[in-house]
Amino acid sequence: MILEAKDLNYYYQDGEQRRYILKDTSISFEKGKFYAILGQSGSGKTTLLSLLSALDSPKSGTVLFNDKDIKKIGYENYRRNNIGIIFQSYNLIPTFTAVENVLVSMSITENEIPEDAKTVAYNLLDYIGIVKSKADRHVNKLSGGEQQRVAIARALATNVDVILADEPTGNLDEEIEQEIIDIFKKLAHEHGKCVVVVTHSNEIAEQSDQAFHLKKGVLTPYE
Amino acid sequence: MNFIKRGFLGITRKKGKSLILLAVIFILGNLISGAISIQQATSNVENNIKEKLGATATLEMDWLEYEKLSMEEQENFIFEEIGVDLIEEVGGISYVKYYDYNMSTWLGSESIQSYQGEGVDEEIIHYGPSMDFQLKGINYAPVLDFEEGKGSLADGRVFTQDEVNNGSSVAIISKKLAERNNLHVGDTFTLDNVVYDYDYETGEEEIADSRDVVLEIIGVFESLLLNEDLGENNDQGMMDWLDIDYQNTIYVPNKVVSAENFFQIEYYMKDDPEYAEMVEEEGTNFDYYEPIFVLNSHEDIEAFEQEANPLLPQLYHVVSTGDHYDNIAGPVESMSTLSRYVLFAAIFATVLITGLVVLLFLRDRKHELGIYLSLGEQRGKVIGQILIEVIVVAFVGITLSLFSGNFLASQVSDTLIEADSQPGYDDMGYYYGGSIYSDLTTDDVIASYEVTLDANYVLIFYGVGLATILISTLIPLVYIVRLNPKKILM
Repeated sequence: MILEAKDLNYYYQDGEQRRYILKDTSISFEKGKFYAILGQSGSGKTTLLSLLSALDSPKSGTVLFNDKDIKKIGYENYRRNNIGIIFQSYNLIPTFTAVENVLVSMSITENEIPEDAKTVAYNLLDYIGIVKSKADRHVNKLSGGEQQRVAIARALATNVDVILADEPTGNLDEEIEQEIIDIFKKLAHEHGKCVVVVTHSNEIAEQSDQAFHLKKGVLTPYE
Repeated sequence: MNFIKRGFLGITRKKGKSLILLAVIFILGNLISGAISIQQATSNVENNIKEKLGATATLEMDWLEYEKLSMEEQENFIFEEIGVDLIEEVGGISYVKYYDYNMSTWLGSESIQSYQGEGVDEEIIHYGPSMDFQLKGINYAPVLDFEEGKGSLADGRVFTQDEVNNGSSVAIISKKLAERNNLHVGDTFTLDNVVYDYDYETGEEEIADSRDVVLEIIGVFESLLLNEDLGENNDQGMMDWLDIDYQNTIYVPNKVVSAENFFQIEYYMKDDPEYAEMVEEEGTNFDYYEPIFVLNSHEDIEAFEQEANPLLPQLYHVVSTGDHYDNIAGPVESMSTLSRYVLFAAIFATVLITGLVVLLFLRDRKHELGIYLSLGEQRGKVIGQILIEVIVVAFVGITLSLFSGNFLASQVSDTLIEADSQPGYDDMGYYYGGSIYSDLTTDDVIASYEVTLDANYVLIFYGVGLATILISTLIPLVYIVRLNPKKILM
């Protein structure tokens, strides 16, 4: 298992009461697979992803990366070198071009990056479907689908094994959604990445290798 | 695309915000630059003027403090004298380069004529006894006035310590006086110590007693008074008068002066038994010395005063050339005070305003900063990126205000100094205890005031400016430390 969550608990303290978002949640992921976690708004799926991506820490329980507690790896270090995160609203730096956005993550990671990083970034964007002429545009001049592709390229640029995506197709139309799903499937099946997507889209769940349903903080297999 | 490059891109890609920050820093930088320029200029004036004034001090009764006493306290106040022991104790303070104490008297002469200036045709008419020659007693054998450049030995020699200790009848006279009377080293000349008796009924003075004072010339000095650089506004007439006075000064050992003074007092004691009785009862000492201490540097004046003042009798104090600077430097000092306040206010305003501007910009860029953190960027590097952005813009702003602030300071301070100065109120020169003279005036201080663009100013301004910007940036950067990328991005 490349990524594993064990007995995760996350709650808000409401006076004397605890309002649980996740309760004793455990789940594991392996390389080469495309996972989907479905749930309604407020089901705790984004919280689960924030814990898996070390953007937040659980009240109890552990997240293991290659059997090592990510707390011991260091949250910043873990985000920098072990995972790539894709957000629903892309979260690109608007004053930078597409290729500059990709180069930012390449400069932050400590993973080995080829010397000619710019060429690698162009190639990566091209592979995801962003041609060079668009790669040199400021990202706010790209369409939603193109911006999400740039975000995917940025996540991949650090040469990590785990891609965590939070509602990556939430702002996109169906046609683009399918293109993004295809990219994820390709990353998992052809490049051996572990792709975890939290979504409310049944389309993604049905096309994933394994899907889970999250309801009131409890995970069950998707049927 | 490391954080340094991101910092530079942040400046060029957000031109509007960079220009706003530049404008704020430029405006505030002008205030800081102007204040530092004025501080530097006033500091230079202080150094220049104090250098010109020298580092000389004397001990004097503080009459202002005396006047603060009640009538009863004044009546019961016992005036203590500054004795030789105390002068030597003060002279032993480490800041003193050398010191002397002088006793002076004025004598006339039938056998020699006084020097009366160049091109003066008419003889000075005396109404009353002629006492043209100042007999200046010294204890410092090499003659302090020569060491300090008031005069220089042109011929012969200075005193030996034995001559000083024994009160030998030897003298050093001026070259002009020697020339007027065809005197040379080795010659003798005679002064008249005349005791006059005042007739209260007729209002006339009559010679009561007299004796000859025969002195051997061992040296001849030249006055350097007129060679001094006295500034633009010096009063030439005043200097001529001072020079004539100095040319008629005759240096002798203190004991020579003391003996001649006692000759006069002795007559009065014989003439007035009551006075003689009082003198014997009180054991009054008639040797009044004016001490003069030359310090190693004008920077030592304050420390010397602190060490010397506790040794002095009640109500005595040290009077120094530094006091004269305080008297004449009013307009420059008020500029200095004003600029100090402006500097503090400008620094405070810069910290506050730049801090707020940076904080507002950071809030505006919260999303971008959250992205860096979500990618695992170290907070230190994100802070470094912002610091680079601000410091680079600040450097440009500070460099621009370096010149403009300096120029503005020059214009503004000239106007303020002119408005603050009161020409002529102290242009008559200044005596301290009769032993130190300076004719440097407020006009000289103002004339030497100049706002310049020197290396010292540049270094101080960059130091203060960049440190101020750094502080004003560091405070809002706490915002980055507290940023939570999950809350921003999810």
